[in-house]
Amino acid sequence: MIPDITPARELRDTCAIVGTATSRLGKVPGVSSLDLLVEAIRNALDDAGLQASDVDGVLCRGPDESYSHHQLLAERLGINARFSTTLTNGGASQIMSVALAVMAIRFGLAKTIVCGFGRDTWSRTHSSEEARVRNETRPESMLAREFGPEYGYFGATAAHAFGATRHMHLYGTTRDHFGEIAVAFREHALRNPDASMKKPLSISDYHAGRLIVAPFGMYDCSLRSDAAGAVIVTSADRAKDMKQPPVLIKGFGFHNNTRGWFADDNMVVTAAKQAGEAAYAMAGLGPRDVDTAQIYDCFTYMVLTQLEDYGFCKKGEGGDFVASGALRLGGALPCNTSGGQLSEAHCEGMLQIVEGVRQMRHTYPEHRQVKDAEIALISGHGGNQVCHSTLILGRA
Amino acid sequence: MMSETIRKPKPRPAPESLPYWQAARDHRLALPKCESCEKFWFPPTRSCPHCLSMNFSFENVSGKGKIFSFVTYHRVYRPAFEADVPYVVALVELDEGPRLLTNILGIPHDQVTCEMRVEVTFDDYDEDISIPKFKPAQS
Repeated sequence: MIPDITPARELRDTCAIVGTATSRLGKVPGVSSLDLLVEAIRNALDDAGLQASDVDGVLCRGPDESYSHHQLLAERLGINARFSTTLTNGGASQIMSVALAVMAIRFGLAKTIVCGFGRDTWSRTHSSEEARVRNETRPESMLAREFGPEYGYFGATAAHAFGATRHMHLYGTTRDHFGEIAVAFREHALRNPDASMKKPLSISDYHAGRLIVAPFGMYDCSLRSDAAGAVIVTSADRAKDMKQPPVLIKGFGFHNNTRGWFADDNMVVTAAKQAGEAAYAMAGLGPRDVDTAQIYDCFTYMVLTQLEDYGFCKKGEGGDFVASGALRLGGALPCNTSGGQLSEAHCEGMLQIVEGVRQMRHTYPEHRQVKDAEIALISGHGGNQVCHSTLILGRA
Repeated sequence: MMSETIRKPKPRPAPESLPYWQAARDHRLALPKCESCEKFWFPPTRSCPHCLSMNFSFENVSGKGKIFSFVTYHRVYRPAFEADVPYVVALVELDEGPRLLTNILGIPHDQVTCEMRVEVTFDDYDEDISIPKFKPAQS
């Protein structure tokens, strides 16, 4: 057992997100992931009424092959940064960058920090037949050496599908439950003009989709997108006089099931459990206080199991919970209200933070706004399925 | 040339996993076993993840276990597997504890279930490499 920690309650409400934006989303050929990120940051600065010269911290994640990516980014922004680094926890990095910003600002290492992430996955894989073939027939030297490729085991889809199979076995969860998640988020995407997916999706469309790695079919899988997002974090004091209504950072938490996705029960009880408990403790809140959740939806199943791990329902009851319509706008816990990574665009959790901030501002038209939402919970998941981060935001 | 392009990936043993593959070539399933805490682990590394002891040896295991979870590939990720789809990749939990990724042979893909009892069988790749796979247990 790992030792208990005391939640860092003194960090609660000390910082706020004062600007947020995305780049163009979906298919943006000819633009690198770094350029997309600069685009999102420029838009976020405009949103906040700030200049790049007002920023003294840069926290980002790069493409994994990019060395010291924050240097490249800050150079593009034309600034010297007091506090700057690159995170490498996969889809859990984006929330971790916001948390690190809070700690740095609270302890005087920086005043205003930009956090962001961008990727050009659609362009790298779909912009031409040549790009698609290059991505899908990578040389053997780029595969794992052993204990995977020889069995035909490739890709994140299969890794997560193992969890789905196990959950179905233990709890009677069905593809109808996964399908409801895909259908609900598509319905949200149709309300979002920036979302990639424009066509309605019915449960029969879901079942008619071709199987990829069963139990996952095509509609269980998130999009390949060109996308970037950014948020600007500063102290709650400074946030009071700025252009946008500040959105307070109330809590965050982390956990990493680094014994492995295939170890213990990690594929059905994810690190969202401990990360969520830590975030709730810092915020002084619990699952009943959450009005909207923006859950890392790389695959439908991951939404279902995280909802259980965050305590919105009991372990094993996620199927019934989603079948109740809870995730839909107007439901008990509207989730992924921009369409999520399944239907808006996939930016490894960054867009979930953007959407959480926007819901807390109450500036959406009625058909997109979670009514009277005061608290948003956001999740990040990545790093070979075991790294998890949780962020809780609230209205000032 | 053609046969080279459609061949499935050949395992390239790391130095620490070489004894595993040497045993597999002799159709034995052997895993690192700690001499301090007497637990097995997988994949092979040079220290015991249970107690960090560096004293260990490769010991034969029963080759019997059960399916913890599995997936069925319908999409062809690499051309070498085109003839195999739909095929099952399973996580088998050995009776000795460790879990191994593997294929399940000798049973239609839609009859594989979690908890099914399985036993090891060996798929000879070439004269150097035999790949441990699993099939439904006979008894």
